[in-house]
Amino acid sequence: MEKLLNKNSFDSLITGLKKQGYKTIAPKKDNKLVTLEEIQDANEISLDHVITNNSIKEFFFPKTEKILSYTIEKNKVEMEEPEGFAVKSVIFGSRPCDAFSLPVMDKVFNWDCSDKFWVERREAITIVTVACDKCDSYCFCTSVGLAPDAKQGSDVLLTKISNDEYLVETVTEKGENLVKELESVFSDPPSGTPDRQVATVEKKFEIDKVKPWLDDNFQHNVWDEFSYKCIGCGACTFVCPTCHCFDIVDECTMTKGDRVKNWDGCQFTMFTMHTSGHNPRSTQGMRWRQRIMHKFKYYVEKFDSTLCVGCGRCSRVCPADMNISEMLEIIATEENQPVSKE
Amino acid sequence: MSETKFEPKIIAFLCNWCTYAGADLAGTGRKEYQANVRIIKLPCTGGIDPLFLIKAFERGADGILVSGCHPGDCHYNSGNYHARRRWNVFRPLLEFCGINPERIQFSWISAAEGGKWVETINGVVDAVRALGPFEGYQKLNTMGPDISGEAATSGETG
Amino acid sequence: MIEELRKKAEELLRSDTVKVVFGYGEGSTPERTRPVFITKPEDVNKLTWNKYCVYNLTTYLKRQETRKLGKPAIIVKGCDAKTIIVLLKECQIKREDVYVLGVTCDGVGEPLATKCKACDVNTPRIYDDLVGEKIENKEIPFDERYAELDEYEKLSEKEKWDFWQKQFAKCIKCYACSSICPLCFCDRCIVDKNQPQWIDPSAHPRGNLSWNVTRAYHLAGRCINCEECQRVCPVDIPLNLLNKKLAKETEKNFKYRSGYNIDDELAMSTYKEEDNQDFFK
Ligand code: SF4
Ligand code: SF4
Ligand code: SF4
Ligand code: SF4
Ligand code: SF4
Repeated sequence: MEKLLNKNSFDSLITGLKKQGYKTIAPKKDNKLVTLEEIQDANEISLDHVITNNSIKEFFFPKTEKILSYTIEKNKVEMEEPEGFAVKSVIFGSRPCDAFSLPVMDKVFNWDCSDKFWVERREAITIVTVACDKCDSYCFCTSVGLAPDAKQGSDVLLTKISNDEYLVETVTEKGENLVKELESVFSDPPSGTPDRQVATVEKKFEIDKVKPWLDDNFQHNVWDEFSYKCIGCGACTFVCPTCHCFDIVDECTMTKGDRVKNWDGCQFTMFTMHTSGHNPRSTQGMRWRQRIMHKFKYYVEKFDSTLCVGCGRCSRVCPADMNISEMLEIIATEENQPVSKE
Repeated sequence: MSETKFEPKIIAFLCNWCTYAGADLAGTGRKEYQANVRIIKLPCTGGIDPLFLIKAFERGADGILVSGCHPGDCHYNSGNYHARRRWNVFRPLLEFCGINPERIQFSWISAAEGGKWVETINGVVDAVRALGPFEGYQKLNTMGPDISGEAATSGETG
Repeated sequence: MIEELRKKAEELLRSDTVKVVFGYGEGSTPERTRPVFITKPEDVNKLTWNKYCVYNLTTYLKRQETRKLGKPAIIVKGCDAKTIIVLLKECQIKREDVYVLGVTCDGVGEPLATKCKACDVNTPRIYDDLVGEKIENKEIPFDERYAELDEYEKLSEKEKWDFWQKQFAKCIKCYACSSICPLCFCDRCIVDKNQPQWIDPSAHPRGNLSWNVTRAYHLAGRCINCEECQRVCPVDIPLNLLNKKLAKETEKNFKYRSGYNIDDELAMSTYKEEDNQDFFK
């Protein structure tokens, strides 16, 4: 289904969503950052940024989440599972790369056991993506097989066609239902071919060349040399829409507690530390290698999909300017390879 | 619901050699003081990490007293001087974050000052009772991990 | 100045005075630089110097990967040089184990970093060699140095609480703030200890408050105000306000400023009999 959405109708869109019982999450500007967060009013929406600071994942896989609570009494343990965590919502104004991270992560969250927190939220949340009309030098979606107007993962895709008009295309049944529910907000699509305003994202490397190189180069100087500057802060993994490692801890007293699932990341020294004190990934070079290997080799082997959508967040946020696409360029460009194999 | 008077929970971190002995003296002298205080005895005020205070608040304290030997009387010579330096910066830090400094109090009470102990602890209990329960912090505790940011800011502090 | 820096670096490497030079190189974009580690004299052209050289490179003195490269020459601005003084006092480095290549500096960042607005160390206070025209270090009065805090100190108790709760709520517990800090050098941070678990590892309001307060407090009387923690925080929490508040209290109460004089006793490992005790009963 195709429709037209005018910026003037954002107001009625948000009110409409509220009436239909949806919570709305949209990009909002606060001080320096544009962040995806819950909004109440259409004028909070900001759409003139490249990409939000946070990724979409936190609405499906929050930074911290209670997975059960318990009380311990003499001869008895009572457990209680949380409820009501999947709230009917719309994420409005996510980017195509973020939207695509969802089907990529579905694979792991439905793998050997299905993670109900992820699955139920996936059902409850509808994704309305806005195609990118601009990009920056960190974006590389086109190098990992996506595009600034890609539809995978979105339920509805909006594409800017004039200063205040968006072409509305429904992608899934869920998206179609949403548009039908709010019919009056949309108008008929323009006749003829609209002028889609979509960013041109330069292709930086050939993804096909990455995995074969990784297959051969587990041992290579480049891992250490590239990552001397890395401080192991893990910020890259936390802002990444496709990083999904977590740690489970009990926060408790003697008699009661919560079992909590928290984000974790392979860039931390402690990530692979054994109780004995031995650490199989003992240097930052090894940890950086893990990040690249997991995203461009292991995940591909296991799930037939790259664990990176080219959003560039990790590189934007990195305090030491470790740039992932630069690393991949090095890998994919033979003559560019700066150091010889040992 | 019937109105029940708020009774503050006070945690007192006391050094073994002076204030604890002072509190003991108050006890053996059958001096009465308000029963709102739970005492935690430690070897020296110099060994009290500010995290002890944070933990006490996390576990529901409405107010805290840290007390040890008078300057010059420390059993380990200088533990209380080091502690004093710490509280000189930690207290303003908490205040800067919006925690009422009346909720964290300090005193020097010697083994002979049973009377001063009674007076001090009564003072702390009264002051914290007047402030009311430390709702701001307790809210942080009860919200559980799955809450979002906004909820945290709407609470009353104390 | 870049040329002079490169020449110095080359000399140091050629003469084998040092094994590696920690410096600034070109970054991903023109508005960014990145740390570089030069081990060969022919690579010194990778060094650069401009107003985007915000990093405090002394943090690489604590990392085992970069320590392994051998004796470093490290390029430091005046603020970064204060770290060297603290690291020496805290016995983390030996003077002969690092070559301090000071640069004079009249401000970094775009817009200008807050720390540079009241800078009194444009010329480093410790160095083996200095590159750049010497700048007379200003004397800045106490109030002006901490002026940034005024608007926050004025807030009511509830406003303060609400402000910080809103800020801390954003924290994702990535610990970038402590990873980048050159003075957060414990092998194992208190947050990574779980028997007992002093600080909740979760990024919920309770865990975030105890983490942020503890991080700041562990730098009381030590933080040299390089503002790196604030720069790297991916969710933009004004961490430096906490650090500054502690610096102010340390200076007010103990007349101590971290990283200024190598002969001063470290504020938090000493005491004076006449220290303030107004608030003791
Ligand atoms: S790559 Fe950058 S963001 Fe990631 S751990 Fe290293 S320094 Fe931190
Ligand atoms: S690895 Fe980096 S570029 Fe790829 S999806 Fe994650 S944050 Fe985005
Ligand atoms: S890259 Fe690292 S943090 Fe991200 S999913 Fe893979 S192992 Fe986990
Ligand atoms: S604080 Fe001073 S020395 Fe440091 S970057 Fe700013 S101007 Fe340069
Ligand atoms: S850098 Fe910011 S988000 Fe990360 S742990 Fe520190 S305060 Fe929290």
